[in-house]
Amino acid sequence: MSSAADREAVFPTRQSLGLMKAKLKGAETGHSLLKRKSEALTKRFREITRRIDEAKRKMGRVMQIASLSLAEVTYAVGGNIGYQIQESAKSARFRIRAKQENVSGVLLPAFEAYQTEGNNDFAMTGLGKGGQQVQRCRETYARAVEALVELASLQTAFVILDEVIKVVNRRVNAIEHVIIPRTENTIKYINSELDELDREEFYRLKKVANKKQRDTAASDAEMKQKREDKAALALLDQENQAPEEEDVGGGDILAGEDDEDVIF
Amino acid sequence: MEGLFFNVNNGYLEGIVRGYRNGLLTGANYTNMTQCETIDDLKLQLGPAYGDYLASLPPNPSTSSLAAKTTDKLVSEFRYVRANAVGSLAKFMDYLTYGYMIDNVALLITGTLHERDTRELLDRCHPLGWFETMPVLCVATNIEELYNSVLIETPLAAYFKGSLSHQDLDELNIEIVRNTLYKNYLEDFYQFVNTHPEMSGTPTAEVMSEILEFEADRRAINITLNSFGTELSKADRKKLYPAFGQLYPEGTLMLSRADDFEGVRLAVEGVGDYKAFFEAAGLGGGAGAPGNMAGGAGSESKSLEDMFYQKEMEISKSAFTRQFTFAIVYAWVKLREQEIRNITWIAECIAQNQKERINNYISVF
Repeated sequence: MSSAADREAVFPTRQSLGLMKAKLKGAETGHSLLKRKSEALTKRFREITRRIDEAKRKMGRVMQIASLSLAEVTYAVGGNIGYQIQESAKSARFRIRAKQENVSGVLLPAFEAYQTEGNNDFAMTGLGKGGQQVQRCRETYARAVEALVELASLQTAFVILDEVIKVVNRRVNAIEHVIIPRTENTIKYINSELDELDREEFYRLKKVANKKQRDTAASDAEMKQKREDKAALALLDQENQAPEEEDVGGGDILAGEDDEDVIF
Repeated sequence: MEGLFFNVNNGYLEGIVRGYRNGLLTGANYTNMTQCETIDDLKLQLGPAYGDYLASLPPNPSTSSLAAKTTDKLVSEFRYVRANAVGSLAKFMDYLTYGYMIDNVALLITGTLHERDTRELLDRCHPLGWFETMPVLCVATNIEELYNSVLIETPLAAYFKGSLSHQDLDELNIEIVRNTLYKNYLEDFYQFVNTHPEMSGTPTAEVMSEILEFEADRRAINITLNSFGTELSKADRKKLYPAFGQLYPEGTLMLSRADDFEGVRLAVEGVGDYKAFFEAAGLGGGAGAPGNMAGGAGSESKSLEDMFYQKEMEISKSAFTRQFTFAIVYAWVKLREQEIRNITWIAECIAQNQKERINNYISVF
């Protein structure tokens, strides 16, 4: 591959090769897991998007009905009852409860609406006239708020999922396009370096072997020479001692020996 | 005989009020209004009747500001008539404002009970129910003070006396206080028109009795219907029924024992009109839900409340067939109020684009 920039800074040793291989394997497993997670999240995300669409349409309808029922209250009561309502409301009748939902390891908050029973603070508003409209309006608005709560929990889930999906996809891409190629490069690099080392070692060994061979050959030759010289010398002595034992032979041997010494 | 000297003091005002009555929107006007596409169109349609008052509104005003401006016109006309009224007509018109005063006082009591700054509530009060000592109500910071030193000075003191103590203001639901006051007010008004020497035996007493009896019956029926499912006990409920009217005493007694819509229906069976209303409402909305607001559906069937309004308007309209009577002032105010409600309703329907219900207004001319 291209250059040293695209691999990790490791020494090309067998140990790091092992490490890198483990890392590659880990990265691949992680990649497939993350991919699956991202797919699960995306599926959920699509579902939520669809439900948000529905909820928004529903909200539009419900709010329209609700505001019309408020108009009916204004019509029937013939005035503004807002202040009385605000003052007579003491505790919340419509409450929500938050719970968490786990989608592939992502905690999504979900809001659940419930109404406390028997909490009817302004039951008597409009006793003289318009009371039924007030109650009906309250029910309509309770439905509207319910739709709003549902929408709110979907929207929150939407935002959170969107964020998480982005992160997961970034990770998947990072693993797929950066970490895996880089690790593979490193492995390739280490392999090539190790091969190189192997070849050098082999060459060196060959050289050493060559040298040893030559050395042995040389020493063999020397030994052989020596042995041959010795044999020749002995032969020569025997021949010299036969006519005259000491003078000529001694002097010749010395000379000969001198010569040989000079040569070797 | 009663007409002989009527015009000496009241002829001018009768003429003025009849003129105002002719200025009320007619069925043709309403038909035009329902054709409007925007609030601005509606404003244009209202131009002849309300021109000056609507001129200051910004383009595409909100329905509430529209209602406020149309009310302004009613108030200023009413004040003009009141300023020119003398003698018993002046007294009669004061009586007319007491109903609004009760609402205002109830509002201020609510504010005092919750220890709010009542001064800002003054803006919310109905202008017709304004009385001179009303701002003084804001001085009181607790109920006892309010009751002992302030309410006593108001025209409503008589309605508090005898039926409500200052502990009641604290403990009872403000709605019960309001309805008790209203009951006392209606009884007093009824008493007034029937016993005042200038009015008893005149068309005023006749027409006003009819109107007030209807009002009393309507309140009794509404209170009964609206109290189902609340903590209002039957004995307490009975105390809120005005002690006159076509239903009194047998009908109210039965009403006080009624447990459901059916019981109310039986109680009012003796009066032809109400029987017809209940039959229509029972068919339209089903027992227990005599309304037209069942989730926006059932636009054809009229609610009981609608029919009562319709009836009130018819009585008010027929009041104008009589002469030499103060009742036309009352009738005119009621007709104008209905007109304001109609305008608000139509404006609301236009603003919310809910044209299918736009014809729920009540027009008698």
